[in-house]
Amino acid sequence: MTKLRHYNGNPQKNSPALGATLAYLGVNGLLALLHGSQGCSSFIRLQLSRHYKEPIPLNSTALLEESVIFGGWDHLKKGIAVAADKYKPQIIGVMSSGLTETYGDDMVSALASLRTERPDLQDLPVVLAGTPDYIGSMQEGYQRTVEALLMTLAGQSNYGPGKFKGIRTADGAEIPSVILLPGCHLTPGDVDELKEIVSSFGYKVITVPDLSISLDGHAELEAAPVVQGGTLLEEFQRLPECKACFSFGLSMGKSGEFLKNTFGVPHVNFPSLTGLTATDKFILTLAEISGKEIPEKLLRQRSRLLDTLADYHDALGGQKVAIALEMDLLYSLGSCLVEVGSEISVALAASLGAGNTPALPIPIEVGDLETLEERAGQSNLIIANSNGRQAAGALKIPHLRAGLPVFDRAGYPQKCWIGYQGTQLFLFDTLNSLS
Amino acid sequence: MFTNLTKLDLKDKQCMSDAGSPKLCMKALPGEGAERSCAYDGARVVLMPITDVAHLVHGPIACAGNSWDNRGARSSGSQLFRRGLTTDIMENDVIYGGELKLKESILEVAAKHNPKAIFVYATCVSSLIGDDVDKVCRDVAAELTMPVISVNCPGFLGDKNIGNRIAGEVLFDRVIGTAEGTEEKIPLSINLIGEYNIAGDLWGVLPDLKNLGIKLQTAITGDAKFDDIRSAHRASLNVLICSKSLTNLVRKMEIRYGIPFIEGSFYGIHDTSQTLISIAKALNDPDLLERTLVYVQKKEEETRQVIAGYKKLLENKRAILFTGGVKTWSMVSTLAELGINILAGGTQNSTPEDFQRMKELMDPTAQIIEDTSSAGFLKIIAEKKPDLIVAGGKTKYLAHKTRTPFLDINHGRKLSYAGYQGMITFAEALTRTVLSPVWGHLKGDFPPREGELQDDKAQTL
Repeated sequence: MTKLRHYNGNPQKNSPALGATLAYLGVNGLLALLHGSQGCSSFIRLQLSRHYKEPIPLNSTALLEESVIFGGWDHLKKGIAVAADKYKPQIIGVMSSGLTETYGDDMVSALASLRTERPDLQDLPVVLAGTPDYIGSMQEGYQRTVEALLMTLAGQSNYGPGKFKGIRTADGAEIPSVILLPGCHLTPGDVDELKEIVSSFGYKVITVPDLSISLDGHAELEAAPVVQGGTLLEEFQRLPECKACFSFGLSMGKSGEFLKNTFGVPHVNFPSLTGLTATDKFILTLAEISGKEIPEKLLRQRSRLLDTLADYHDALGGQKVAIALEMDLLYSLGSCLVEVGSEISVALAASLGAGNTPALPIPIEVGDLETLEERAGQSNLIIANSNGRQAAGALKIPHLRAGLPVFDRAGYPQKCWIGYQGTQLFLFDTLNSLS
Repeated sequence: MFTNLTKLDLKDKQCMSDAGSPKLCMKALPGEGAERSCAYDGARVVLMPITDVAHLVHGPIACAGNSWDNRGARSSGSQLFRRGLTTDIMENDVIYGGELKLKESILEVAAKHNPKAIFVYATCVSSLIGDDVDKVCRDVAAELTMPVISVNCPGFLGDKNIGNRIAGEVLFDRVIGTAEGTEEKIPLSINLIGEYNIAGDLWGVLPDLKNLGIKLQTAITGDAKFDDIRSAHRASLNVLICSKSLTNLVRKMEIRYGIPFIEGSFYGIHDTSQTLISIAKALNDPDLLERTLVYVQKKEEETRQVIAGYKKLLENKRAILFTGGVKTWSMVSTLAELGINILAGGTQNSTPEDFQRMKELMDPTAQIIEDTSSAGFLKIIAEKKPDLIVAGGKTKYLAHKTRTPFLDINHGRKLSYAGYQGMITFAEALTRTVLSPVWGHLKGDFPPREGELQDDKAQTL
């Protein structure tokens, strides 16, 4: 991967702490606390709020000059205590920032010290995620936070109500549960569809984190500073009893492996769920593991997708598409377009991703939107977040919004581009952008 | 290299003890959820609307990556200011230092974008690892033909207000008065300080100034060109628009360049007229004053005629007002103009003086929002059950969950609310929001409670 210049021009990257916020927003009753200065949390709130059109609860340890001299260790203790007392959350999720990681606050010892001083907080689950702003992008922050959530909460029964008894059908048979670990490339709409597909194979699902019931934008939400909807604390306790774990996006592979190695839950990773081949692989795995027939509804959707491929193969064939997105989303959409005969002309990822870069016909490079603008000139379509509008505008190329933030098109968080039906919708959106 | 805070005119003020007053001299408590912002944000807000320069943020991605091009400041010319430019400090830079990367970045930005000047923002991380941004900027400026100006605004220095002041210092020390040529004052010319041309606010006021024969030297910094700010010292008067966050700037300009300053606001009929009259008086031109008095009366009548219809629809509605800066007090009279009663008012990111002024203007029965966190805001809404909420975009989606009509008056909006025309736009927008049919749908139960369905049927039949 070549580094073209020293500065980042029109960044497509979001901060890792923003990814951490996103992961925390999918956990019910959680209060997210950013260990950093007030701007760090303010920018994240604004960015996520204009994408999701939702209030974003995110607290801060509000570091000031003195913490630069004396460290933020005490601030963190105080922040956790104040947030716990004032808002009574079920869980507190802490993420670090560039500031606190640079002077090296030890979050683990701060928490231990606080628990000694405040025995009443002994049983309050507190998740600590290390998300320095200078390593990776939103995807890495989200990934590390899901890992921290699982390592802290999975199978822990010292928190909250008693042991999970299992859910039974009317005739007393236990309904098997599976774990879904969606990556940050999936929208609340995607996660909704994902749960539906897996449920149709007779599974009860536990989704970590579950944005489809917290950030799906529904009016019943009581406005409160803690997350409402999302994975329940007791669901974390049940994770070891689940039959299987499916993780989505390469970045989520490590979380799935953790559950496999710690609790012996079989784990399969699906780098993408967009496109015929990717969906086929997922559906066949579900059919095989569950021992059930593929539901008629899914076969019908597949058949519709096949018809769409035939109808539009010519319109999609040979289109040159320039993509700049976070790695997992870039691979998902890119591989789907390759599969229908389009050409990927530019592939720029926000960051390196999980390390094992997936394969597209052209190498994926790390790059900003200024690089996109320099290279996308000969393309027919740009797929990037809303900030790609400057590049698309300058080059007069149509721009399909994807990723985060999308603030100038309605309904992106509700969009579903996964599975047979979602793939069909993605291809329609692509075609409608081209024309 | 850190900015000397005592220079920023912060510490000479007594602490305001009023509940709900902006806590300029009080630290935010960790974990309390005050939802304020940082000094970098404050500096960025003031300087980034300068359109023909490059704004390079020397920090990790959290500073520029989450925030670039996210304010509605508009430009009639160059769009360069909307570029997100950052050195994107990475792990290795934290370990080995980022000065070299900064230097290369400045040179590359200069070569690629050919800006009038480059503003370089120091952030928490770059300050902590000891990068000497001042020195790098000085060194690079010697190699380039354009000014390279460092802005020392790490977020940990404090909240937004402090950043505003730092930006004012930078403009005063490094930009204003650096133009070559004559220093002579331009007659009947003014600077608008603290006008950022959000949603084109400045353009709503320009026609009035033009009609009166007042020349705008520059806005600091709405739709501003670097060279115009360099010559800002040639204006005859400074008009401080947005709060007192740039008071330090106008005070210093008064001392060094002898430019008097007045305060004003272009939100609402009353404030717009008052400001125009104050300008005319301060410019000391009897002809202009006479013209202005006639002009504002005519404009007021015209505007009131147009908004009379809206006023009828909005009269006696009960509102909660929650905003910052000049809008804190200016919105009070704007809402009063439309016959709207304010149940409660609160402020964030404004100065104690602004707060005081808001309090004086509001009805004594109106409550002051003391807890400015989301939780406090919600509590007030639940208690007061207002007909509408007028606030910044930050609270917009929260307010929608309470199913209450909401109007965004901060930087997220698309419409200009400044000047006489802005008042009409504001009245239109507010009426559209309050009378939108969606609120009725949001308030009903579903499935309908017993009895209700029959009522509905009876109505439709």
